Amino acid sequence: MNKELRRKKRYQAEKRFQVYGIIAISLAIFFVGILVTKIFSDGTSAFSRTMIKTEIKLDADLLGITDINNKDEVENADYYTLIYDEFTKSIPFSNDEEEKQIITLLSPDYEYEAKDFFLKNKDQLGKTVTILLTASDDFDQLHKGNFPRDIPEDRRRLSNFQLQIYDQLVKENKVTKVFNNYLFTKGDSRDPELAGFGGAIIGSFFTILICLIISFPIALMAAVYLEEFAPKNRITELIEININNLAAVPSIVYGLFALGILLNVLELPRSTALVGGIALSLMTLPRIIIPARASLKAVPPSIREGALAVGASKVQAVFHHVVPLAMPGTLSGTIIGLAQALGETAPLLLIGMVAFVVEIPGSPLDPSSSLPVQVYLWSESAERGFVEKTSATIMMLLGFLIVMNSLAVYARQKFEKKWN
Amino acid sequence: MNREAKVISKNVDVFYGNKQALFDINLEIFKNEVTALIGPSGCGKSTFLRCINRMNDVIDICKISGEIEIDGFNIYKQGVDVVRLREKVGMVFQKPNPFPKSIYDNIAYGPNIHGIAQNKQELDEIVENSLKKAALWNEVKDRLNEPGTGLSGGQQQRLCIARAISINPEIILMDEPCSALDPIATAKIEELIDSLKSSYTIVIVTHSMAQAARVSQRTGFFHLGKLIEMDETDKIFKNPNNKMTQDYITGRFG
Amino acid sequence: MSDDHIVKSYDEELHIINDAIVQMGSLTESLLEDSMNAITKMDKDSVSKIVESDKKINKFRASIDEQIMTLLVKRSPVAIDLRLAISTLKISQDLERIGDLAKGNAKKILPLPEDDLPPEMLNSMRRLGEAVQKQIKLSLDSYLERSTEKAIQVVKDDEQVNDLTKISIKEVLDFLAKDKKNLEFATNLLFVSKNLERAGDHITRIAENVYYLISGDYPKKNK
Repeated sequence: MNKELRRKKRYQAEKRFQVYGIIAISLAIFFVGILVTKIFSDGTSAFSRTMIKTEIKLDADLLGITDINNKDEVENADYYTLIYDEFTKSIPFSNDEEEKQIITLLSPDYEYEAKDFFLKNKDQLGKTVTILLTASDDFDQLHKGNFPRDIPEDRRRLSNFQLQIYDQLVKENKVTKVFNNYLFTKGDSRDPELAGFGGAIIGSFFTILICLIISFPIALMAAVYLEEFAPKNRITELIEININNLAAVPSIVYGLFALGILLNVLELPRSTALVGGIALSLMTLPRIIIPARASLKAVPPSIREGALAVGASKVQAVFHHVVPLAMPGTLSGTIIGLAQALGETAPLLLIGMVAFVVEIPGSPLDPSSSLPVQVYLWSESAERGFVEKTSATIMMLLGFLIVMNSLAVYARQKFEKKWN
Repeated sequence: MNREAKVISKNVDVFYGNKQALFDINLEIFKNEVTALIGPSGCGKSTFLRCINRMNDVIDICKISGEIEIDGFNIYKQGVDVVRLREKVGMVFQKPNPFPKSIYDNIAYGPNIHGIAQNKQELDEIVENSLKKAALWNEVKDRLNEPGTGLSGGQQQRLCIARAISINPEIILMDEPCSALDPIATAKIEELIDSLKSSYTIVIVTHSMAQAARVSQRTGFFHLGKLIEMDETDKIFKNPNNKMTQDYITGRFG
Repeated sequence: MSDDHIVKSYDEELHIINDAIVQMGSLTESLLEDSMNAITKMDKDSVSKIVESDKKINKFRASIDEQIMTLLVKRSPVAIDLRLAISTLKISQDLERIGDLAKGNAKKILPLPEDDLPPEMLNSMRRLGEAVQKQIKLSLDSYLERSTEKAIQVVKDDEQVNDLTKISIKEVLDFLAKDKKNLEFATNLLFVSKNLERAGDHITRIAENVYYLISGDYPKKNK
């Protein structure tokens, strides 16, 4: 009787446990779902850009081009005036104020866009062509539906006149959305419609690259030394304790270190991927050493003994046999450590990567930004256009993290199969 | 019997920290014979075996005093190159431990690091000969590139024996080589040991009395770190001198 | 470190075999005694009992053989256990032969007339029989007590048995010389004497096997 009762209770307890598990997982999925949905709904619009279609006469006089083959003339032609005159001509206006309002519907980069277009279509000189120009941030946000139209004019960013023009252009099918390649190719900008995280991506890439180049070999060698060669004495114990503690140090401390030593004492260039990489590598070192050591420890002693018995020296046994077997775990740890470094903001802020960097860095010695820092910067900006860009950057960052973690899983599986 | 002593142990004591594991071991291992070391668990026979190729060196707290001479030369003298010693004295372990590499690479590793082969062709020959001597060639000759760990237990152990042979040692130490194998695999290994003894000197630690009786010419009985009796295998198993030896081999204690 | 095997059933099997030999031995001992009595008292009625006893002895031999085979298969004995198994096998063989010889002796008196015989001749035969009986008792004791001294004694005293046999045979031949019509009688007594000597040899072999069992060597032949 007692046995029956106890068995029933056990089954019930198991059932309850299962239910708790399901509830917990469901809650987690729910919250993640909310987060992801919010980010995606805010960010997807950043991947498109509103452009205005307009007809321009490539007037040689306005441009100031006499000889089409003269590189200098083409290079320095007055595209600004061309667009200004031609665009404002296409829309009726009554006074200077309105004229200004028309041109501000275009993104301020229009002269460069015109130049790009002209360089590709030099043979059209003198003719009237259809050209797509990027709309201004306000126009872009209006078209994406982010601006309420029913608030009083003086509280709006677009005037009634501009709204009229917008409606008219829409009616004439002159407003179109294209894929926003600027997002990927351009650096930061004051104008949201021209801003991109291209610079941040390259900056992050260089930073992580430097971090990898510095931390991986040092971490691997340190782990091999500690695990295979170090004598078991107080000093080694002390080193081990310190490494474990370093893994728990808040990342901003590494930023302070970078600021104090790398920038002030060594006078390395500010805001560069080089300095960022060094700071992050210090942080990543213990995060690689610890899984590397665990992997080394997990290699069965029979492998070492087998190698030694065949006459390998200790170094040969370790590097020919033990280290390759510890690679899956070490690589996993490395990739995960790098993924964590990718998302670090605090140390990079302290070394100045918070600066406004327009150009895409060409090398780790150029000033740059990084993805998480870019998120921080754009989230602080006032323009509406940066909201979607912030979310888009977060999506980019998450994408990278997923890719890197998948790489870690793949690498582990591939090596484990080989080992098995 | 005009036998040549290959290994002579003189007053060997072994300590693990403060604990003494072997007490004053004096014995001789003769050339081109199989010598078995038997005794209950923890009696020190494996410890002694590992002294012969200085595998105990990897254990920090292990200290050895006394001498072990191989061909008259004390291997515990100052400045002895352990790597070269292990070129001469090979070892096969209780649990087969092939490298997680291909069968070919398992055998080729030793000759490579010692620089024995001049070119690929010589290396191929060494691999083939070693596998043939280990009675494994026919079973694996068509799959030399497959991982060594994919073989059966008995085949893996023969692979380990082939690996030990590949660097042309003079002495082969075997630490309970059959304890993880089934009876057929065990029989094949015993057959192999029989055929190898004409070319090598073999020392085998075994838990199986019957195996020691079958396979060896001389047997040494260890108990609690001391060598109790060492004699011709025939004598030990038909009429040992020491009562403790008799009690152990008949299963009255141990 | 006890003298018992770790596996108790091993010891039980050895005990069973040991008891069987002891029983077989004492049966053989009695058989020899009965056989001598039948001859010296010309007691033809006891012969059938003697034949039955010998059959029992043969059965023991078969059973002990089986048990030892099983022991070899199961236990793969070594050293003293192996010597015990092999010696016991041989001892049971010798005991069976002794039984056969004793039975054969008893049957020899069956066709003989129930005359009175010259006491001197039967006396020497009686003394030979007693000597052989003493030998078998001593050798069985040496097995039971695992005593090398007793085993050696048996080997030494075998000479005495041989001498007594010679005396017995001489007396039988003298008896024959006196009267040719005693031929059949004398011939049978000759066989009896020879059989007793052979029984003595078997007993000596038993003692040698006991010695081997205990010491691992056979006793040296130079006495």
